[in-house]
Amino acid sequence: MVIDDSRAMRLILRRIVTQLGFEVHEAGNGKEALDLLETVDPMPQVALIDWNMPVMNGLEFVTAVRSDERFRQMTLMMVTTESEHGQIVRALAAGAHEYVIKPFTPEAIAEKLALLGLVPSGIV
Amino acid sequence: MALTQHEFAFVSGLVRREAAIVLEAGKEYLVEARLLPLARRTGTVTVSEFVARAQRERVIADQIVDALTTNETSWLRDREPFTAFTDSVVPDLAERRGPQHKLRIWSAACSSGQEPYSLAMLLEESVRTGRYEILATDISTEMIERAKAGRYSQLEVNRGLPVPMLVRYFDRVGTEWQVAEALRRNVSFQKVNLAAPLPQLAPFDVVFLRNVLIYFDLETKRSVLRRIRSLMRPDGWLFLGAAETTIGIDDGFERVVAGRASAYRPRAATTAPVGATRKG
Amino acid sequence: MSAPTTDDLHAITEQVWLSYLDPEGVNPFLPSSEAPESPLVIASVSVTGAWEGHVIMTFSEQAAELASAALLGMEADEVTPDDVADAVGELVNVIGGNVKSLLPDGSLLSLPHVVTGDSAGTAKWPATVEICRLQGSWQEEKIAISVWTSKSAGEGS
Repeated sequence: MVIDDSRAMRLILRRIVTQLGFEVHEAGNGKEALDLLETVDPMPQVALIDWNMPVMNGLEFVTAVRSDERFRQMTLMMVTTESEHGQIVRALAAGAHEYVIKPFTPEAIAEKLALLGLVPSGIV
Repeated sequence: MALTQHEFAFVSGLVRREAAIVLEAGKEYLVEARLLPLARRTGTVTVSEFVARAQRERVIADQIVDALTTNETSWLRDREPFTAFTDSVVPDLAERRGPQHKLRIWSAACSSGQEPYSLAMLLEESVRTGRYEILATDISTEMIERAKAGRYSQLEVNRGLPVPMLVRYFDRVGTEWQVAEALRRNVSFQKVNLAAPLPQLAPFDVVFLRNVLIYFDLETKRSVLRRIRSLMRPDGWLFLGAAETTIGIDDGFERVVAGRASAYRPRAATTAPVGATRKG
Repeated sequence: MSAPTTDDLHAITEQVWLSYLDPEGVNPFLPSSEAPESPLVIASVSVTGAWEGHVIMTFSEQAAELASAALLGMEADEVTPDDVADAVGELVNVIGGNVKSLLPDGSLLSLPHVVTGDSAGTAKWPATVEICRLQGSWQEEKIAISVWTSKSAGEGS
């Protein structure tokens, strides 16, 4: 699942993960993503999450997902311009598993997904 | 030294055929900037000479395509050798040598430094390690200086570096990230040309020599492997790139399986039981 | 923490270009003294909190279309005004976010804001002063990136 308020960024991420063999759901903010999670089956393996979004930001989304037992299996990867040391620590403390700083190249996304065991490293 | 029109035409034709990338006239400076470090690394003095070699040697042509199509080195992208290092090699050496032994690791073509620092981070995280020191060498003075500074762009730290390691071992410095002083203290750097007689270095427990042999012809490969073997402990470990091997080149090494990776060990060592090796 | 400089903007811009607009590294952004001319497209993000100011990208209309096409993987003549607003908005968001990392902790980034048409040529950011600027050309078209700080905040530090 790709959660970003920018359509351009959703498109870029969709293109990258589609090439890696994923099927993609899109949401424009954290609230939309939570609503989407109630309807999609099977649950997405991984969410790529922007931080700064209207309505519900990425950190709030991570906190909400981590407090819900049903989503325990889902891997959470921040993909954001927030790049201060302290911000990254905050996201990890809230329950994010990985973190990609914008700007990123397609290889960066693929390699991080491989580190998380979500893409066979041979494809990367 | 500028590329001639003919040389540039060869390179642009090559990347157009191989990678569908169009290099327009006027981009000579870009080709030179990208190829110079590579040329130096293979022991070629000028980019022109490197391009001339590419017209005869397929391996060099492939390197040119790579250099003009990808940008950054990844940290732990090829996970298998690193997993083998932490899961098999470090415990094996800890058992053989005892907790007081200082592990000596050689990153033999360290480029901009991702490999030696990755090894240092893995050793920091490995509970079985006591002390260690890493020697990182490269043929390029420019690369040695870069690696020693330990400063990486945002794009570089995005490449295959697990984020817990980023927050634990790096400090933010302006637009870049710098490897923490505590980690840099354990890594030393030296300019070394693997294709020439090597300086007298203390014996190593582990050598990483990945994606270097592919740059050399058979005779050079053989002499590089022989020289490296002479600087390894008899029960040490050598890691090569996934497409490289000692088989058919240097019989002094034996291939062993370590986790999901292949590693190479000086031949006598593989028959000696754990604990039976001489004290170092 | 020192204020962002033109060199910082250049480093950030190079990375954004390599990631999104010029992945092969064959069409880099080339700094020069020339500023973009009307008609313009202006994309900005504001920083509030510990530091107050704006990060502003000014594109010639053609540069904005080229950048949007490159980001979205489309042909330049296919992009709609909505595509341009979304794409240049995301570019300034990424550059602004990286500039923010150079600013004091506790600074917050706004959502991007894009202005096109006649009002773009006369846009002003009152009570602010420019602290650094990078301008130049990309595929012959002009783009400028600048950082502005609130006058009151500047006096305080």
